[in-house]
Formats: sequence, C-alpha cells, structure tokens
Amino acid sequence: MTATDPLTAPGAVAATPAAAPGARQVWRRLRARRAALAGACVIVLLALMALAAPLLAALEGQDPDAYHADAVDSALGGVPIGSFGGIGADHWLGVEPGTGRDLFVRLVYGARISLGVGLAATAVQVIIGIGVGLAAGLGNRLLDTLLSRTTDVMLALPSLVFAIALLAIVPAGFPRPVLLVLVLGLLGWGGTSRIVRAQTLTLKSLDYVAAARLGGSGRWRVARRELLPSLAAPVATYTALLVPSNIASEAGLSFLGIGVKPPTPSWGQMLSSATTWYQADPTYVLLPAGLIFVTVFAFTTLGDGIRTALDPRAASRVPGRARRRKEARA
Amino acid sequence: MRQPSVIARRVAAASVGLVMAAGAAACGPKDNDAKGAAGGDSAPHKGGTLTVLNTEPQEDFDPARLYTSGGGNVPGLVFRTLTTRNRENGAAGAKVVPDLATDLGTPSKDATVWTYHLKDGLKFEDGTPITTADIKYGIERSFAAELSGGAPYLRDWLIGGKDYQGPYKDKKGLDSIETPDDKTIVFHLNKPEGDFPFLATQTSFAPVPKAKDTGTKYENHPYSSGPYKVVSNQNDGQHLVLERNTYWDPKTDDERKAYPDRIDVQSGLDGAVINQRLSAGSGKDAAAVTTDTNLTAAELAKITGDKQLAARVGTGQFGYTDYIAFNPKVKPFDNPKVRQAIAYAVDRSTVVNALGGSSLAKPATTFLPDQKAFGYTPYDPFPAGPSGNAAKAKELLKEAGYANGLTITLTHDSSAGDEQGPEVATALQDALKKAGITVKLQGLESSAYSEKIHGVKTEPGFFLTGWGADWPSGGPFLAPIFDGRQIVKDGYNFNASQLNDPAVDKEIDEINKLTDLQAAAKRWGALDKKIGEQALTVPLVHPVYKRLFGKDIKNVVISDWTGVLDVSQVAVK
Amino acid sequence: MTLFVRFALRRLLAALLVLLVLSIVIYALFYVLPGDPARLACGPKCTTAQVDQVRAQLGLGHPVYVQYAHFLHGLVVGTDVSTGVGTEHCGAPCLGFSYQNGEQVTSLLAERLPATASLALGAMVLWLVLGVGTGLLSALRHGGLTERVLTALTLAGNAVPVFITGILLMLLFVSVLGWLPFPSYVPLTDDPEQWAWNLVLPWLSLAILESAKYSRLTRSSLLETLAEDHVRTFRAYGVRERSVIGRHALRGAVPPIIALSALDLGTMFGGAVLTESLFGIPGLGKSLVDSVRTEDLPVVVGLVLVTGFFVVLANAVADVLYAVADRRVVLA
Repeated sequence: MTATDPLTAPGAVAATPAAAPGARQVWRRLRARRAALAGACVIVLLALMALAAPLLAALEGQDPDAYHADAVDSALGGVPIGSFGGIGADHWLGVEPGTGRDLFVRLVYGARISLGVGLAATAVQVIIGIGVGLAAGLGNRLLDTLLSRTTDVMLALPSLVFAIALLAIVPAGFPRPVLLVLVLGLLGWGGTSRIVRAQTLTLKSLDYVAAARLGGSGRWRVARRELLPSLAAPVATYTALLVPSNIASEAGLSFLGIGVKPPTPSWGQMLSSATTWYQADPTYVLLPAGLIFVTVFAFTTLGDGIRTALDPRAASRVPGRARRRKEARA
Repeated sequence: MRQPSVIARRVAAASVGLVMAAGAAACGPKDNDAKGAAGGDSAPHKGGTLTVLNTEPQEDFDPARLYTSGGGNVPGLVFRTLTTRNRENGAAGAKVVPDLATDLGTPSKDATVWTYHLKDGLKFEDGTPITTADIKYGIERSFAAELSGGAPYLRDWLIGGKDYQGPYKDKKGLDSIETPDDKTIVFHLNKPEGDFPFLATQTSFAPVPKAKDTGTKYENHPYSSGPYKVVSNQNDGQHLVLERNTYWDPKTDDERKAYPDRIDVQSGLDGAVINQRLSAGSGKDAAAVTTDTNLTAAELAKITGDKQLAARVGTGQFGYTDYIAFNPKVKPFDNPKVRQAIAYAVDRSTVVNALGGSSLAKPATTFLPDQKAFGYTPYDPFPAGPSGNAAKAKELLKEAGYANGLTITLTHDSSAGDEQGPEVATALQDALKKAGITVKLQGLESSAYSEKIHGVKTEPGFFLTGWGADWPSGGPFLAPIFDGRQIVKDGYNFNASQLNDPAVDKEIDEINKLTDLQAAAKRWGALDKKIGEQALTVPLVHPVYKRLFGKDIKNVVISDWTGVLDVSQVAVK
Repeated sequence: MTLFVRFALRRLLAALLVLLVLSIVIYALFYVLPGDPARLACGPKCTTAQVDQVRAQLGLGHPVYVQYAHFLHGLVVGTDVSTGVGTEHCGAPCLGFSYQNGEQVTSLLAERLPATASLALGAMVLWLVLGVGTGLLSALRHGGLTERVLTALTLAGNAVPVFITGILLMLLFVSVLGWLPFPSYVPLTDDPEQWAWNLVLPWLSLAILESAKYSRLTRSSLLETLAEDHVRTFRAYGVRERSVIGRHALRGAVPPIIALSALDLGTMFGGAVLTESLFGIPGLGKSLVDSVRTEDLPVVVGLVLVTGFFVVLANAVADVLYAVADRRVVLA
C-alpha cells in the first residue's frame, strides 16, 4: 500500500531536516503572510468565544437548553416568530425552530465542542503517531514490519464504520466529547506515524546521528536528543493541517447524528437538523454552516501559512499522491 | 399492538389517519364547489395510472410477513382477507367489515370458536377459485421462521399455535383451523377473543395457493386475490407495477373502488424528495400519492403559506400515544408521589413543539387514543395545564421526601427527530428543571434502546416510549401494556410498569369475552381511566399526520383505522 | 517487466491480506455491538420463540468464528439457503444474505452501485474541468491577483466540509434562485436529462472539494515545466506560447493528474457518505450508514470489502500510471 496521504508525500514535508528553520525565522516568515495572520486572528477570536461561553450567555441572558414555546409558532410547525429566524433583542441570532432555544448561546457553546474535540483529537493522533513512527523507525526489522503493516491497516480502515460502531459499543454514560476525541484520535494517527518513520529512517543514516550513536548514546537517547528536535518541523506542518481536518470530521460525525449527545450543542448537529429547514428558516442553516466554514477555513489558512513558513520550497512543489482516508470528507 | 422502533416508525409513517383538515375529506361535499387544485369534474372515474412515491420499499411483499397495519396500504390491493377495514373517512373507517367472508364471523357462545363462510365468485388472478384451504395454508405459512415479520396474535390465540413450526417443517398443518368444505373455515382459540374479526383483517388471512408457494421468493410475485396483480417487482419491492386482475369481481368486493387501471409504486426515495415532487406535481407526479411519508414541521411551515398546496394536504389520526413510562421497580419511581410530581411537571406545549408543533401533535392526558373506537374516556388525574404545574410538583416531591430536589436519569432514543428522541427528552429535561428535578439524559442508538427498555432485567426507571394500535380497539392497546400475564421475563416485554394486578387481568378477560364491540369499547375506556390514576405512565401526545397528494388526485379517503390515504379509493381521472 | 509483475503481485497479496484483516476486525466489532440482529430482523413484536427461530435461520446461533468461517466458505465456493419450499443458491463470491430483508448482499450492492457511479464519474469530470482550468489560469497569471484569488478559493473549497458546500449551494440554487430542482436521484436509464439535472448539485459539491488538489497539481507542474531548459529553448526559438503550454508544459502534468483521478475515483466508488446522506442519493455510502445502524453485518462486511477492493484497485492503477510516468517508482 504505497499510496500516501498527500501531506505525508515528499512534497509536503521538508525533506532535509538540516534545513529546518529556527522558531524565530518561522515566526518572521509567518508574520509576512497576511492570510495566515488573519486566520490566526479568527482562531483567537473563536477560542475566546468558546472560553467565554458562560459569560456571553449571561450577557445575553439566555440558557443554551431552555425551551421557549412563546418564540415559535406552534401551528406552523414551530417556525420562529419574527423575521430572520426570530432575531431580536432577546435572541441575538434568533431561535431554533420547534424548540425555541436560543441560537446565539448554542452556537457559542458549540464552539467548545468543535475546537476542543478538534484540538484534542489532533493531540492524540500526533502523540500516538510519533510514538509508533519512532518505534518503527528505530526498532528492529520485525518491529518495523509489524508497526508499518498496522499503520497500513489503520489507513485502510473505513473510519466511518468504525466510528459509528465504536460510538454504539461504548456505554452511554461515557462522556461523549472524550469518546469522540478518542475515536478520531485512535483512528487517525496513521499519517503522522508514516511521516515520523520515514523521517527517522532518513535521519538515522545522517552523519551526526550516526556519530552520536557511535559516541555511545543509547538508541532512545538518540531519539530524544537528536531525532525529536529534527522531527519538529515536519510534524508541526502536518499537525497544522490535521486540526481543520479533525474539526471537519467532528462536524461530519455530528452531522450524521453520531457525534455529541443532546442537549450538548454542536455545530454539526445543529446543521443536520437545520437542513430540513433550508426553505422555511434559512437563517437557521446559515449560522452553523457559516461558523464551520469560517473555523475550518481559518485553521487551513494558518496551517498553509505554517507550512510555507517552515519550508517555502514545499509550497510550490507537486503535492504528491492523494490521501486514502477520504471517506469522512466526502 | 405496535411498538415504536423500526417497524412501528415505518407503520406510523404509514399511518396518517385522515380527517383532511386543510380541505379534502372533512369538508367533504363542500369541497366540491371549491374544486381547488384538482380542477374540473371532481367525481372519480376509472382509468389512468396512479403513482405512489414511497420512502420504504415494499420488501416482504408476502402476506405472511406483513405486520397488521402494513398490509393496509399497497398490499391491500393485492390481498383480500376474511374481513377488512371499512373504507370510510374518519371514525366510520374504524369499523371492521366482511371481505372474502359473508359476515364478520359467527362466534361460539364464549367467543373461542369462530366460523366464517366465503362469498361466491371469488377467484385468484389465474381464475382458479379461492377456497378456505388456501386461507388455512396462508395462515400456516405465517408460522414459518423463514417468513418472519407478521404479528404474533395467531401464535398466541390459536390452539397449538405456540409450538407450530409452519407448513415447511410440519406438513400435517394446524389442527385448530378446520376447513369442513371449500367455503367454510373454523378457528379454535385457546381463550375468548371478541376482537377476532379485527384480527381477520391482517394479511396472514389472505389466501395463498399451495401450488404457487415459492417460500421466501413468494414476495416477488404474491398471488392476487384483489383488484390488482403484480406485473413487475424490481429490486425487492423498490419498484412495483400493478395492473388490473381481470378475475376480480367488483360485485364480491364492497370496499375497494379500484379506479386507476395501473398503479406504479416507486420507493427508496428520500422523504424530502417525495414531498418536493408532490408539491411540484409535474408530469406523472400530478397523479401521485405517498403511503408512508409525512410532512415534516419545516415542510409544513413552508406549505401552509401556499393556499393551493395547503388544499392538497390530508390530515390523519391514527391511534397512537407517545408517553413517559416508569419502572416502579427502580427507585425513586416506586414512590407514586414522585411519579405524580413528574406528571404534574411535564410541559406538553414544549413536547408538542419538539414533535413539530400543534399541527402534528395533540397533547394527551389519556393513555388510550382520543378516538371512540378505542373507548376513549377523557380524564386528567394530574392536571398540569398546557405548560406544567411546577408548584404542585414541588409540593408532591416535598411530601415524598425530596424537598431539596431530585436527580433522575431519562433514557431515550438518540436518533434525531424520533418520537422518543433527543428533542422530546431535552424538552422534558427543561420542564422538570422548573420543578427542581435534575434530569440526566441517557440516549441510546435505536436498536440498543429498544432492547434495553423491553428487557425486564435491563429496563430503566424513566424512559420514553409509544404505543400504537394494530386495530382500533382498546384490547390491543391496553392488554400488552398492563396485563400482568403479559410480562415477558426472557424476551421483549411491553408491560413496562410490570403491573400485575389480578383485578386488571380479570377485567381484561371479561372484556375480551364481549362480542359487542361498542359495549367492549366502553369498558376499555373505564379500565384506562382506572389504570391512569396510578401514574404508571405519563401520556404526552397523540401524533397527527399530514400528507401531500398530487393535484390530479380525487376521492381521498383517510380512515381513523390506518390514518393513511387509502390507495384503494383514490382516482386519478 | 518481470520486476514490475513481481511488484504488482506483492502489492496485490498485501492488499488481499489487509482486506481479510478488515473483515475479521469487523466481525469481531459487530460481535460486541449491543443489539440483537435477529431481533432487529424479526421485528420488535416477535415473540422470543420467533426470534430464536430467526436466529437459527440466520445462523447467528453459532460462535462468531464459525459464522466467519461460513462467510469465508460462501465467499470462495458459494452457499445454499433454504427458502422454505426449496433452496436458493448464492454463487461465489457470495457475500451472504442481508439480515434485514434476506436479499443477497451482492445484488443489494449491485442495486446501489449505479447511483454511486453516477455521482463519482460526473463529479470527476467536473473536478477535472474546474481543477485543471483554475490551475492553468493561475499558472499563466503567476504572481498576479488572479492567482492569489484562485489560490484562496481552492484552499477554501478543499478545506470546507462537503456538506457545508452542499447546503450552501442548495440554499442558493434551489431556494433563492430556483434554478435547480431539489436533488432527487433519477436513474440514468429512466430519464437521462433528469438524471443529470438532479445530480448537478452533488457533483458540484464534490467537485469543489476535490478540484483544489488538481488545481495545485496543474499549477505547480506547469510552473516547473515552464522553468525547464527545453521549454525555454522552445520559446527562444519562437514557438508560440499557446503551443508551448499545450504541447509541452501541460503534457508533464497529465500523468500525475490521471493517477490522482484514478485514486480519487476509487475512493468515491466506496461511497461518498456525507454527500449521499445530504442529497439522499441511494448509493453505497448511504447504504453503509444505514446498515451499520441496523447491524446488518453481511451488508456492512460486503460494503467494506467492496469499498476496500475499489481503493486497492485504484491504488494499483495509480501506481501503474505513475510507473509509466516515472520508472523510478517501481524500482524504488
């Protein structure tokens, strides 16, 4: 199975670790890219919004789970009373059809799930990926084969089937966001592991690493002292692009009705119930759709910027062959 | 007795009982001068092609495999049964009438032996006469494991039914069904059942010629005894074409009008697509109906603003109740005061809104559906008003020893949009909060949910469920839920409260003996009220179904029995 | 060439092994799933006795490894199933019978394939047009505003989940402008015009998602080639710009584009779950979600294997195409 993730393909990652630029240099390059900076600003705003959710809710004076029977027209299928989905002084962004729950508060709280799950899942993926990749790259032949084949299987897994099944097996009492993080994390480390292994194999053959080993440093000491710093650049590049993909995955799972459980608000979930309302209440559709759009786009722009900053040549290179795990995307 | 889950939802969807709120049947003759979207002469005529647009394919198009209400739609055009539904609008449609049989059956004195005689001139689609042996064989097939899916009544009621394996494994047949001659059939039951004529409407009572039986493949071409026969069946019922069965004699059939020459059933469509096509009504879709797709709240919100479209909405009532069930074996629900407090605290207006608003759900305070045929007797032992009585609930909680509030878990189905789904659960959560009750939600995937709530050992204390009628009578509504002898220890149990009250059981037996259905209905109503006072359940809503039909459709009939637009009555010319 | 054949064989073997492992994992997974397939197949009102009969009928009474052995047996040599009065033969490769409706899984998959194929092929045409077109444009306007706008657009299209794009397109074209019908899948054989008309939105949504990669690919390979010596030479000799790009520069971009398309098409054939769910297209992807929900194990396993097969096939085709374009890949 030689087909690789586009991001793990040669073009995406700095091939020669020696070229990895220092942090200051990266920051300077990043600062020069206005798009990436704009993305970063949007992300900071979204993060602040997520953190300040209770505060914002108090400011508006609404509760995310409270029903408002008086804000919807019951005889008309529960369509919000008022124009643009009931936007007004009480409900800044209108209310949810049927239930009359306040959309502003639900969207703000939904940011916690989107960002939290997206970031945490990425962390799990990266940690497992580095561990497995290093072990495969440094281990003996048997270990390498075993881990590489396992990685192959992970990349070939129909992630959606597994996500649905895993989400059904785990008892309902288990906190759902944590479960989502684990499911996304455990199913999605294959790409990172591949990069790390490839990178490790390249580095191993390089002079300074070989010198360190000859100098009597143990295998794991070499890994820690010599390899990890050199892995930082490619892994960071990959990570920056994993985040938006995980956020999109969470939204997709929620959209398919297998994400977080009600009453916890989540953007994907709101969007999936909004789809039927696209004619009767377009505001209800546009809000979560717009937020997911903005969030994912902001992270992608930033990720793209980081990639260019880490290795300007990579950006113009052929992006290699396509990824395997696209199921959750299409 | 139907249950929420997969099949029920399918049938519930199929069960828009109709009163034609927005313009058709309920307004009856008055509608004629309005003419509306139908245009031209509104009297129905023979001819043309009726298109049926459905979500669910007609899989299992086999009389042995169809559940009771499921046989009331398209299959009812092909299968005739000993008795059938009265094809009338509203409450009149909740009556049972003879079909293949000359009458509703002659019961023995204690209603344990039922005798039927066939009409003259009944023929299959190939011209061979229909005999009672064909009916007996059809019923025996429904016992075969290969042909699962039918209702369990015959297994429970017929002598020897429990152990019978079906005609493939057990060639001797069932002794409790006798056919002394080609025109007579006699059923021997193990207990009195005044409701037997209702049961004889289900498709397992349709004749199946033994020589034509192809086992599990029979569904591809079931042999017709009705006005239409199957001429094409693609992809396991995804696309069916029915044409006239020339051997069907309208003189033997008072119920089916059979106006169209041809019926084209297309399924596997998305619900939104069906409603979009029906409202656009272009080409063949002008002469189209659906037998399984309701209008959603969002679609209703859109359609109600359009007069022409609104006139093409049929409204149906089907005997169904969504309710909160308690398991009094689980604390604190053993305490009647806690159950009563919850009954007072529920806010039915938000529950109604969660289920699509007042056009799609009516608040319910009785367990029995609000229809005369069930024996509906209005009562409200714990008047919560439209939006709950939190003060009274708090008072009761205090008496129960929970002055500082109470934390409980509500188990529900996690499928969005489900009647037992998260929308209703969160609505209740919000309402109970006002009475100082903290509700934790436990949402489970449909299949896991269904298994959990129906297992005596796994049953949670506080959960959402619903119950629909297999036929419009109090018996199949109350007995499975409250009869102590119907508690199933090792299988699917529907008696959620695990009520085992000899007085209730005795009354159920007494009513089952009655063959006067009106007298029986009255006593079912009284029994419902008596049980309702114990707060073992909290009835929430009775759903209402709304469906669109094409602009060329005439003679829309929707009975309270099925709540479905009756395809056997519809005309396209 | 023998080297190539050996390489291909090894790849194939590895692929089969992965598929086998996948099927085992899925069997194990469904074994621990809550919910009883026999109960689901029988219907909620079945008595315990009936459920037991159905369980026996479906062969669910056996331990999981015996069930798996039956499955493998059916896959390799076929199997026979009782219809009550006779038996029905399910020829190899038999993927078993659906728990839900007793139909052969192979025929169920065959029913779903046309919808998925319609979606995938149409979307591919569109994403090639969009992707290569924008790539070409931004390479020719290298450094200009057009390039920057196009880069941003493709970045957005690729980043945003397909259901967002789909809903926004639906809102625009169906609700606001009223140019397109609410998408409803019509088989090509029923009405080609309606088929295409109803698939425009799903095609467009997928194409927007996918075209970004093609755009980048075209742009960068074009820029690379244009910078190469022989192209400069052509220019110097006065060969017209259009000819330089058409005959020479673009030629270099074609093999990777074809290879990438093969790969993407393979994945698409496995079912575009979100797109099919959003637009209600009765394809393989929608069927996957439905059958996992109803715990219809034979259908899930069948779908995963077929999906995996398409991906493997696409990988192989892509590799061959790469090999043709660049011999070093095979030898590496």
